[in-house]
Amino acid sequence: MHRRIVKLILICLFAGPIALQAQEFKLFDRTVQVHGFVSQGFVYTTNNNWLTMNTTQGSAAFTDFGLNASTALTDKLRIGAQVYDRNLGQLGQYHPSLDWAFADYRFKSWLGIRGGKVRTTLGLYTDTQDLDFLRVFALLPQCIYPTDLRDTTIAHLGADIYGNISLRRHLGDLSYTAFAGHRSDSLYSGYSYLLSQYGVYFSRLGGLQYGGDLRWNTPLKGLLIGASRMNEDLTAQATFISALDPAAGRMPLTEGFKAGWTNQFYGQYTVGKLHIDSEYRRQLHDQTNQALGVETIIDVRGWYVSGTYRLLKRLAVGSYYSRYSITTVSGGGQYLAFFPPNQTDISLPANHIYDKVIAARVDLNKFWNVQLEGHFMNGYGASLYPDGFYPQVNPQGFKPDTNALVVKTSLYF
Amino acid sequence: MKIKILLPVFAAILTFAAALARAGDVKLIANSSVRADTVSPEEIRRIFLEQNSFLADGSHVEPVIEEDGPVHESFLQTYLDRTNSDLQTYYQALVFTGRGSMPKQLSSDSEVVAYVAKTRGAIGYVSSDALAPGVKTLFVARTEEKLQRRLITRVEPEYPEVLKRLSIGGSVRLQVTISAKGNVEGVHLLGGNPILGESAASAVKRWIYASGHSRTTVEVVIPFDPSL
Repeated sequence: MHRRIVKLILICLFAGPIALQAQEFKLFDRTVQVHGFVSQGFVYTTNNNWLTMNTTQGSAAFTDFGLNASTALTDKLRIGAQVYDRNLGQLGQYHPSLDWAFADYRFKSWLGIRGGKVRTTLGLYTDTQDLDFLRVFALLPQCIYPTDLRDTTIAHLGADIYGNISLRRHLGDLSYTAFAGHRSDSLYSGYSYLLSQYGVYFSRLGGLQYGGDLRWNTPLKGLLIGASRMNEDLTAQATFISALDPAAGRMPLTEGFKAGWTNQFYGQYTVGKLHIDSEYRRQLHDQTNQALGVETIIDVRGWYVSGTYRLLKRLAVGSYYSRYSITTVSGGGQYLAFFPPNQTDISLPANHIYDKVIAARVDLNKFWNVQLEGHFMNGYGASLYPDGFYPQVNPQGFKPDTNALVVKTSLYF
Repeated sequence: MKIKILLPVFAAILTFAAALARAGDVKLIANSSVRADTVSPEEIRRIFLEQNSFLADGSHVEPVIEEDGPVHESFLQTYLDRTNSDLQTYYQALVFTGRGSMPKQLSSDSEVVAYVAKTRGAIGYVSSDALAPGVKTLFVARTEEKLQRRLITRVEPEYPEVLKRLSIGGSVRLQVTISAKGNVEGVHLLGGNPILGESAASAVKRWIYASGHSRTTVEVVIPFDPSL
């Protein structure tokens, strides 16, 4: 076993860079670039199992990879596509998906349009939330970027209008993105898995969404501030076994939104090797369960402050404080008695997660890094909407505190 | 005989002075297909951050960067105001979201010059004293006003014969004050070889700009390439 690991490390160190540089070729006189990444993580936690893995025993069920190709067809038109796959505990389960695939036509710097399956611009990191190798942190603040719910925000099938406008009189520049399209949540994502504990199995999950993002590179060097808004709909089809009439077998179930929106506000400040980020997000889902006649309002709020600093050329360190809270209020319908009781007290561990994190990243070479991270969490936020902690992998019940060690290594080219 | 002895000494002094003056300086170079002669720092920033692929005159350009080193660091500090690791992260975010491509990265001035010379629309940077045959050197106008004050008459500076023979080149930076009528009122040497600077200043004093609303101060970079 040890020999295999040593062999793998040697291959990565010496053969890796040579193989990974082969990333460009000509096709019909156009240069096609090919890029990819693969990440492998290991997570160990105290007290509670986390992210659908058996982490209290230590789990390496934390793998993802992507491969893309892109080219410029003309001076203004680019096309490209990426395939992505992952396994995170009970999620993903190695079902590959077309991550993004679109054509991008840029009329001017202030006006471009891209259509197809497009990554969604929402806050600082929604569009790059799964590219952990770009950052110091192996996991972004989970209060806003829960890795178990990656698929619910990552992309939409539709179009973006975007651009960058220089403001006169040295007032900086503005970047905008307006988007609209259909979101297809993976059936192997956190929400589906959470509801499977109630015998609900989805066959379709997604909905229309539209919104925008506006960010201002201010005249103060290194300071960026911005705001995003997304309105969304939900069309969910599933089956379940009625608790009132189990003999009837599996019955159809549909879910929809009366209202669904997300507001996000953020700032980023960079001075030399120091980066400071902060974001606030509120997400409200007022959803109805038509077969059960129950309406549930889920109100999720989160904010974080993070800082990273590059100590050496190959070593960067960072820390963040992340605060997540959730309230759920359900009403109406004869099935209400089978729903969890309303949760409005966010001081309870069941309704919050406060996470203090320290992290380090070592760049072993241009294509390979290792991330090491410690989480010190209070609360588990287990509710009708997930954020890392699931009853299915914690059958003994939850404890209020969880410490976690995350080690992740990524290869990319 | 005296000349034979003095020439190497003179050359060594000039080379040393020039190296001191130009430490950290870079010059922008472009393929001959690029029509523009002048670019602004803002244009350079947008081009190298892939926020735009066209210069103000409509020329399509493709950025080429050097791998980590003093020339690259100098370029990052002057025009992009970010570290190399930040820039690499920025490009990777573009690549893995499909919003851009990884620019060509080359390891030396000579590789950049060779690539830019043969690639339509390529724009790159090299050390200000690097030889750059087969490419055009772009002037960097450091203020927005420069673009508004169109240059009507341009007089090329004389390249001092001795320096050219000794392959002593580089860029000089001048602060130029233009009157509302368009005449050059004053020239101040900001950086570069003092002898080349003197030659450049005497030429720039004869430049004529389009008239404007008020007196304007701009920064002009003039390259001296001994290989041309």
